[in-house]
Amino acid sequence: MRYIGRRLVQAAFVLWLAATLAFVGLQLAPGDPAQTLLAASGATPEEIAERRAQLGLDDPFLAQYTRYLMDLARGDLGRSWLHGRPVSRMVLEQLPATVELAVAAMLVGVALGLGLGILGAVRRSTWLDTAVTAVAAVGLSTPTSWSGILAILLFSLHLGWLPATGEGGLGHLVLPALVLGFALSGSIARLVRARVVEVMGEPFVLAARARGLPSQRVLCVHVLRAALAPALTVIALQLGFLLGGAVVTESVFARRGLGKLAVEAIVWRDLPVVRGVVVCGAIAYVLANLAADLAQAWLDPRLREGLA
Amino acid sequence: MLLLLVLLATFLVGCGAPATGDRIVYGLTLAPSGIDPHVNASSELGIPLTSVYDTLVYRDAATGEFVPGLAERWETSDDGLVYTFYLRRGVTFHDGAPFNAEAVRFNLERITSPDLASQKARFMLGPYERVEVVDETTVRIYLSEPFAPLLDSLSQVYLGMASPAAVEKWGTEYQLHQVGTGPFVLAEYVPGDHVLLQRNPAYAWGPSVYQHKRAQLAEVEFRFFTDPATRSPALETGEADVMGEIPPQDAVRLKESGNFRIEAVPIPGVSLMFFMNTARPPLDDVLVRQALLYGTDRQAIVSTIFRDTSPVAYGPLAAVTAGYEPQVQGYYGYDPAQAAALLEQAGWKDSDGDGVRDHDGAALVLDLYLMGWGSMPEVGQLLAAQWAELGIGVNSKVVSYPEALELAGKGEHHLIPFNLSGSDPDILRKFFHSQGGFNWSKASDAELDAWLETAARTSNWTERAALYSQVQLRVMDQALVIPIRDYVNLNGVNNRVQGLRFDAQGWFPWLVDVRHE
Repeated sequence: MRYIGRRLVQAAFVLWLAATLAFVGLQLAPGDPAQTLLAASGATPEEIAERRAQLGLDDPFLAQYTRYLMDLARGDLGRSWLHGRPVSRMVLEQLPATVELAVAAMLVGVALGLGLGILGAVRRSTWLDTAVTAVAAVGLSTPTSWSGILAILLFSLHLGWLPATGEGGLGHLVLPALVLGFALSGSIARLVRARVVEVMGEPFVLAARARGLPSQRVLCVHVLRAALAPALTVIALQLGFLLGGAVVTESVFARRGLGKLAVEAIVWRDLPVVRGVVVCGAIAYVLANLAADLAQAWLDPRLREGLA
Repeated sequence: MLLLLVLLATFLVGCGAPATGDRIVYGLTLAPSGIDPHVNASSELGIPLTSVYDTLVYRDAATGEFVPGLAERWETSDDGLVYTFYLRRGVTFHDGAPFNAEAVRFNLERITSPDLASQKARFMLGPYERVEVVDETTVRIYLSEPFAPLLDSLSQVYLGMASPAAVEKWGTEYQLHQVGTGPFVLAEYVPGDHVLLQRNPAYAWGPSVYQHKRAQLAEVEFRFFTDPATRSPALETGEADVMGEIPPQDAVRLKESGNFRIEAVPIPGVSLMFFMNTARPPLDDVLVRQALLYGTDRQAIVSTIFRDTSPVAYGPLAAVTAGYEPQVQGYYGYDPAQAAALLEQAGWKDSDGDGVRDHDGAALVLDLYLMGWGSMPEVGQLLAAQWAELGIGVNSKVVSYPEALELAGKGEHHLIPFNLSGSDPDILRKFFHSQGGFNWSKASDAELDAWLETAARTSNWTERAALYSQVQLRVMDQALVIPIRDYVNLNGVNNRVQGLRFDAQGWFPWLVDVRHE
């Protein structure tokens, strides 16, 4: 219980830090939001100054920050400067599409990464291992903007198997999830391969083998359990990668999502929306890490007992 | 892997809804999350919503004349301060409420209310003072000073007429439930995903610029294709029937395929041009500015980067803009020898033989800032290459729009590009009036200011046009800008789609006449 309590305090601290960094970072970014919103309209400098005051941008930094934190504590993300709509509504509108893509890509990435990683480790130093390492490197280093277009050209335009863009049904999810999941699988495959190789050399594995256990059982029960516990944390950390990758993937596959919302908000200095997306991302991140930690504690008794 | 294959196989069937006879999918290029024309400023929002809202007047795209819309006729007082509109009877909003003078008052007061925080519509009304309901079908707009662009503003969707009942009912969520009087009804808007329009069966009050009384299509779905590389594949896979802003190289290829055509629509307004900061040496010297103009091979830029899909620009206004002065075409043809001679005359010589000219110990190196869109970085590269041959060095940097506004406002640049669309030549005031928000040339010319101010107040078009001619010629005489190209929207259109025409802004389709065969 102490362990869980400590993790919760840490989570609250991380959220506050993210919220504060989002505020300070954006405040320091060049460009005047009121001017950005109105420059092309032909508004006079006085009208732009009025809008700046209306947005509360003339208030002292500390006053703006306090107001923002107080609102946040009440669960109020404010209203978009660009659209006048509540930020929470705008975020909630886009959230399901992003979660859908992130979960699907995570499934693809983990399945592919685990499979390749284990394969590479078990058959290490063979041509198969080399192939796995190569595939992982391609996954890691291919930008999704490029692999996405390639996938559209191949599967949609030439083969006509899958819809290229938009949403609606699982069919529309396959290509973006594959593209993003493939990019994700590279780092997972590398990590899993390295961990499995490492664990396979540990004394307890040798002992298990020496006892004459079938190698299948040794791999599945002893090796994987020990190898995957730390891998879970790293997989949870990939959530950041997923949210970042989703920005590009959403754009290539004409899907909605938080990424698109954030890009528009950044371009127009719609700070409440940017902060809202950052805070939501931080919440997701914290939750994923919390879940990974708990799962790891369950997998690794040493952590549960507070020994590690 | 097996799981994936199963997934794949399961969804091979039944994806990609084919367009039926009376429905098209129209691809938009930005995914603005706000599309209330009274609040938001994007051009994209007007592509669907021009067919949802009617405006008091319309502008004939071919002649530039104003024709009746929701107003049957109108009068302007002799002093140009009062506009009286006589409204059409029998017009109803999509929610059944009647359109009348009270509705016009409600709309104008909504747009000008500080609470709405309008980003465009408010400013299109210029020196608007108040609105008065005279009777059920008569309404007056009062201005504090004459404002010639008013009718042009009132012809645009940003000043379209919304149902007061719907606006009050939905509050800040109104943009998801917009209600107008136009040929199409906004049936659904899912931000970032799609906008769905459905035919308004009751529509019978279209302006004369519409060829059909009612919409030919039952439905138009708009989807967002923000990544330029995905636009032509979406047309080719049949996921979209019309697509705006096709990249030039894709446009060339699509045209050859036979199933598609490119409808290239020139957009009126301010051409893509580089503003030369006349307040910062060495560009405070008109000889150096003129040398840069002579030393720029615009035709090469248009051919290389825009694949000859858009015309070379010679002056600050795009050639299709009302009031365009064709004499600018005689200025600054590509002439590197002349450019070199002017630089020599201004004292810039390569005295140390390093390939870059210098003068009094200072090297001729210019700070060039570029925005990441509209092929500006590529144009900047070509310019730098062309100028290098003349012994001019360039430091270029790509910046965001807010950064550009800030640094160009402060005058930290030597050169920075921009373009902006708009059908009224009053747009020049934003760029060349000393107080203009985009006065990035740092023009400070009392005569230019006076001409621009007078032109905005002059109702007689011939007199106005004469003033704008003077402005354009002065801008080029003083070498304030390097015009590059007129903006052209390359619309990719499936050949089964017919009757696509655009309004005077060039951006907004008149969907009422579009058919799918």
